[in-house]
Amino acid sequence: MLYLPTKIPGRNRYGRRFNAPTSRTLLASSLLLSISVSAQADDNREQLLKRIDGLEQRVMELETTTVLSDPETRVKQIEVFVDAEGTEHDTQVPGSKRRITYQRERVYRRQTINEKISEAMEDAANRNVQLGVDAAIIIQNAQQTRGNDKTADGNFYQLASTDLYFTAGLAQYTMFFADIVGLSGTPPDNEIDGLTLANGYAARLVQQNDLSLREAWLMTELWDQKVSLVIGRVDLTNYFDANAAANDETSQFLSDALVNNPALGLSENGAGMAVVYDPKKSFNFRMGYQQSTSTASNLSDSLFFLAEAGYQLNPFRMGEGNYRVWYREDNTGNAASAFGISIDQKLTAGITLFARYGSAENVTSSNRDKYYSTGLQFASGLGFNPEDTFGIGYAYANPATVEKEKLLEGYYNLAMTEKLRLTFNLTYLQERRVNSSTDAYVIPGMRLQASF
Amino acid sequence: MNNAKYPLTTINLFMVIVFTFLLLPGISLADKEIKITDPASVVVIVNRDSNDIAFMDIKTNKIIGRVFLGKNVNPHMAMMSKDGRWVVTGGTRSSKAYIIDVATLTLVKEIPVGFAPEHLAFSPDGRYYYQGNPDDDSVSVIDMVSMTEIKRIPGFAEPLNITFTADGSKAYVGNYGAHWVGVIDVTRHELLKKIHVGEVPQIASLDPERYLGEIKGISNVSISNDGRYLYAADGDLGIVSVIDSREDKVIKQIRVGVDPWRAYMSHDGNYAVVANNGDATISIIDLKKNEVAATLESGPDMMGINFAAGKAFVISSTSGFLYVYDMTSLTSAGRIKIGKNLQIETATTDTAGEKIYLASSTDHSVYVIDGKTEAVTRVANVGLYPWGTHILDSKDNYCH
Repeated sequence: MLYLPTKIPGRNRYGRRFNAPTSRTLLASSLLLSISVSAQADDNREQLLKRIDGLEQRVMELETTTVLSDPETRVKQIEVFVDAEGTEHDTQVPGSKRRITYQRERVYRRQTINEKISEAMEDAANRNVQLGVDAAIIIQNAQQTRGNDKTADGNFYQLASTDLYFTAGLAQYTMFFADIVGLSGTPPDNEIDGLTLANGYAARLVQQNDLSLREAWLMTELWDQKVSLVIGRVDLTNYFDANAAANDETSQFLSDALVNNPALGLSENGAGMAVVYDPKKSFNFRMGYQQSTSTASNLSDSLFFLAEAGYQLNPFRMGEGNYRVWYREDNTGNAASAFGISIDQKLTAGITLFARYGSAENVTSSNRDKYYSTGLQFASGLGFNPEDTFGIGYAYANPATVEKEKLLEGYYNLAMTEKLRLTFNLTYLQERRVNSSTDAYVIPGMRLQASF
Repeated sequence: MNNAKYPLTTINLFMVIVFTFLLLPGISLADKEIKITDPASVVVIVNRDSNDIAFMDIKTNKIIGRVFLGKNVNPHMAMMSKDGRWVVTGGTRSSKAYIIDVATLTLVKEIPVGFAPEHLAFSPDGRYYYQGNPDDDSVSVIDMVSMTEIKRIPGFAEPLNITFTADGSKAYVGNYGAHWVGVIDVTRHELLKKIHVGEVPQIASLDPERYLGEIKGISNVSISNDGRYLYAADGDLGIVSVIDSREDKVIKQIRVGVDPWRAYMSHDGNYAVVANNGDATISIIDLKKNEVAATLESGPDMMGINFAAGKAFVISSTSGFLYVYDMTSLTSAGRIKIGKNLQIETATTDTAGEKIYLASSTDHSVYVIDGKTEAVTRVANVGLYPWGTHILDSKDNYCH
């Protein structure tokens, strides 16, 4: 028994049964078959023509209602070999030189309109200058609990700050960044006069109501992006003495003593450069210089040199910890030098312990200025909302003089939306003055911050 | 015999029929030439733009053959059946499932499924092939005996990856368009249960843009080596929910980084590594404690994580880097530059846990990375826009 598979349009596909033919019946069968096939062929032709008509109609509808017909192409970097005659070869031939060039290649892809729009938008965004805004309003109140100088007692303070960030890609692995800041208002530091700032934003306040260029630098990455080179008007505290839990007045502690190590000695941003070697292993190294005065007449004036080595550990697998040691020298005329450490170590997934220590030369004394800080940060869903963070920190400033400062701050950062955060903070500040009197303040505050 | 009795055309037609019968078996035999004798000896490569599945010999890194699926098929993911007999793939633009005979490298069946099929999985006994159709919100059930779609299970929300339990009784489906995991009863091929993985924060009412604009739910449900627990990362919620497979209940929520993509299980079963694309970090979860043991810096656009030689290799698609992590000390161990201006996609690891086969779409290549020495070998021209790779019995078979 044989089964002849035949396909008749519009019907299911089945095998048609034949008996094995004898020599006499073969001719008869073939004759019958030829007649049958001939009739069927006419029938099939008609049905096929109908189907072609239907398909043509469908293709026409498809082409008129879709924008998928453009062939996709992509420009690709290719390697070719050019001989002495200027002829280009795909493979190396004697006397040819390797050259990199670009060529369009066809992409055999069918994209939807959504994909095309997304690609176009992404491409346009990558070519444009990116703009970011970080605005904050900080309201504080000072309640004096100890001391004779009542200047700040009971006063309210409000400071508004807006940073405009511009970033643009200039070349491969090269970008430009600028931060223009405008500040307005009164921080408590004008009246409290502490060793460090009770409002870290005040460190940016050069002039009221003026826009100032805080940073403007060019960054490029070299050697398989293991080395980053940043040059321009820089803030070296972004690269040195970093800390995962106490490094940012916009989202963590407000007091400057819990943002930067005072022993760093950098008072203003200025011209400088930073080189960061980070092979993305446990160890990293960085060095840089920065001018820290706005009245300098040349680059050699008030120049700070910094170097830092960092190491990442995961002791007892309780979580990652970053350990940094830095050294600073400056040419401010006092031959001052300083060194310090900055540590952040996760105790659990949501709790981070941080600590800083700094020791700086004091030209007026054989003793050194010493600064300590420590505290805890809580995150990873330990607050009311999953993205809330809160922390408590203590800082002690012990310069070589009789002045001393003790500071305790707690904050709760409430993530209201992706772009809006509200932080409540409470600071206890104790200042021992030159005349040996001691003033103490309780400073409740609130920071409303918008980033977009 | 007087041939004039019969018209010439009829005789010719008759002869054609006879010869066709005689030649058919020969043609059929030629088609069925055995090209792959050991299915474990090849890397399966999914080429999106050349619309084919290529087969590369693991020893020689040579392409043995390729199976063209049709124009504009746009295959997304391929998987080999447990017995190595079939390779299946879903054509995203053709809305069909394709079954390839591995031994002969022939396309044996095209099966219409739901709209835009992407990710898929075989049942452990190889009887069923579940094809997720994310744009159709359905899962197609393909019976590998009859090679037909026996059922299309509706009711999902952008179903991506499918994970079967070891006994094959249930399949878990990650819904990227929702915050629940679908449990399928494999006996009846029915959606049995929706497991709610976590709460959207109450404060979300202040931020409708974030939660209504675009949803980033669950892309995959990863199963522990013992099959007891399932780990579902939810992008919007920033959590990995641990599901007890006996009761199909969430027993713990682990907070990880921003916009976690999915959890990848280490070969020894001790850790799950989660790629957090929102903040370019990875979270390493200790599976004994179900706690984050480390959160480490990584790169942008992470598409996959492979394990080899005691290390985790994280694929950062747009940067062209593999970020490497020491899985003993749980610290960063450098990064491997695959190339400039590349878009690297996903990878598979060989069964010995030594080499990684990484698809690189924009230069039409597969890169072979030695896990121990971190040496990189390029295999060029594997097909157009290779999107993923697959090796039979690999512990790192996954897709985007």
